[in-house]
Parts: sequence; structure tokens; C-alpha cells
Amino acid sequence: MQETFLRAYRHWNTFEPGSDCRRWLSTICRNAFLEHRRREMRSTAVEDQELESLAAARLHNQARASGVDHMFMRLDLGPAISQAIASLEPIFRDVVVLADVEGFTYEEVAEALGVPIGTVRSRLYRARRQLQESLLAYAIDAGFASARGPETPPTPNRQG
Amino acid sequence: MPERSTCEAVVRQLWPYLDGVVDDSLRERIVAHLEMCAMCQSHFDFANAFLEAVSRSRSDVPADDRLRDRVVQALSAEGFKLSA
Repeated sequence: MQETFLRAYRHWNTFEPGSDCRRWLSTICRNAFLEHRRREMRSTAVEDQELESLAAARLHNQARASGVDHMFMRLDLGPAISQAIASLEPIFRDVVVLADVEGFTYEEVAEALGVPIGTVRSRLYRARRQLQESLLAYAIDAGFASARGPETPPTPNRQG
Repeated sequence: MPERSTCEAVVRQLWPYLDGVVDDSLRERIVAHLEMCAMCQSHFDFANAFLEAVSRSRSDVPADDRLRDRVVQALSAEGFKLSA
């Protein structure tokens, strides 16, 4: 509401004397609301995407703790990856296949699927997390850890 | 040792960075941090190995060529320049 009056004050010159003042104000109010909501949705989306990145680091820590730090270097992981991709929900599978298997850019994937780029990114990151989680479980079950033994975590660099 | 908050800020950009969609100044800051932080670097290496493994998996099993063909067709029809 405060925002509406602030805007009304700022855009006073757009009000035509004699026209419906209430309508003019409600238009301003609606625009303020829509813009606020857009801004909020955008920042939530950005936050979600950043949380997916943090999740990738956490998953790495889990892999290291389970002794499968090098699981993605293994060439025999291919079939498990294909299977994990196949079992994703279609909206996530399509995005990850196009972007990460076929190598299309975000823009191309967005264009191909007819969804906004932000949607491509959030689906892609979520798909990656789901894949990493199922591949971690697979690597542990398949006994990838015994081949190498548990990894010791690198000591943080203290020169910084 | 770099500040914990710097590490978190850098790791929050892990996927956008690996996908090459961060702007120049952010990329430079991330590169500078990774050079001196072995822990963050290891997270990025792990995630990058994941992306490479997924990309390699394309040759293991016949990829969904119909999907790819549909996409190429749709994009070309719209005059889209293809990167892949």
C-alpha cells in the first residue's frame, strides 16, 4: 500500500485531471503488486539454484566419506548413468538429456521445450542432484569404495 | 585459509560457473578463490567429473535420437543457431 502511494506521488503527472482517480490508483497498486511478486519469484528461483550448487558440494563430501570420491572417473559407470537418467521424471529427464548429454545451451533447451531459461536452469540443477544422489547410492552398493579404500579429505589450504 | 563465507559464496555458483554462464568479474573472483582453496576446488572437480561422465554416457547406450532430432528440427525451423 505504501508502495502504491509512493508510486502515485512519483507518477502524479500521468494522472489526467477529470479521469477516474480510483481506477488510476488501483492500476498503480496492481502494477506495484505484480512487480513485487515478480521480483520475489526471481529471488526465490536464484536462491533455489544456489542451494542446488551447495547440495552438489555436500554430495561430494558424502562421496568422500563413503570412499567413492572418484566414482565419476570410472568408465564402467556409463550404463548406471543412462539408467539413472531414464528413471528421472520426464520434465527433469528432458532437460538433462538435452543440456548435459547432448550439449545444448540453456537458450536452446528453453527454445526447444518452450519454457523460460530460469525453468531450464532450476530443472537442470535439480535433475543433476537427483542423478548424483542415485549414482552415489549405486557406487556404494556396487562396492566402488573397496577398490580404492576411503579417501582422506584434503587439508584446507592455510596459505590464504 | 579463506573465510568460510567466501567458500560458501563460491560454491553457490558451482553449476553456473561450470556451465560457463557467470559474468567475467564473477568468474575471475571464483578462479582466484579456487586457486587458493583446495576444498572448494575439489568440489568443483567432483561436479565437473560428474558432468563429463554424463556427457560420456551418450556413447554407452543409444541416446534418445528421436528427441535430439525433434529438437534440432524445431530449433532449425525457428532459425536458431545450433551450438551442439
